[in-house]
Amino acid sequence: MAETQKLVIMVTHGPAEPELASIPFSMAGGALASDVDVVMGFQGDGCLLVKKGVADTVAAPGFTPLRELLPTIQELGGKILVCSPCCKSRGLTEADLVDGAEIVAAGRFVAEITSATNSLTY
Amino acid sequence: MAETEIQATVVVDARGLLCPMPIVKTAKAMKELAPGDVLKVMATDRGSVADVPAWAGSTGNELLEWHQEGETFVFLLRKGEGD
Repeated sequence: MAETQKLVIMVTHGPAEPELASIPFSMAGGALASDVDVVMGFQGDGCLLVKKGVADTVAAPGFTPLRELLPTIQELGGKILVCSPCCKSRGLTEADLVDGAEIVAAGRFVAEITSATNSLTY
Repeated sequence: MAETEIQATVVVDARGLLCPMPIVKTAKAMKELAPGDVLKVMATDRGSVADVPAWAGSTGNELLEWHQEGETFVFLLRKGEGD
């Protein structure tokens, strides 16, 4: 098989925009099903999507609801990285986030993006 | 080749599921099969018509054939030599 590929997907929209919040999760699921490693990076209001309980409330017409997509992505090995200053400004700590989510800063995001096959930003 | 001539080892019923769940279920089921085994996938998401062949091409599996039965898209996939 070919060398493993990696896709970084940056998510900047939150629950207020369910379609733009759902598309990156759908892309992540498609990539993981295709044996592509996935790192999802959450910045701005995107961080709210991985606050415990929030994914249960986000569903856009025509899309698989986040209550199904988020656990599927984690089950398939997708990594969840969350922007540190964005969490701080929203009063979020790691304890507030879904299990497995990791709070990181710019250096880690840059390292993930520069080592990826490609990156997408929503 | 007509579907009746091909025996599917496993059937994935992805009817009613939306993108990307049909290929997520397909990928999970395929991992349990041996090279050469045939997987039958049933889906109603119109995107599957493009998604399943693309998935097969990028994962080293072979799309043997697909057809439509009413609102259901039926795909027959043979597992490749990869994992």
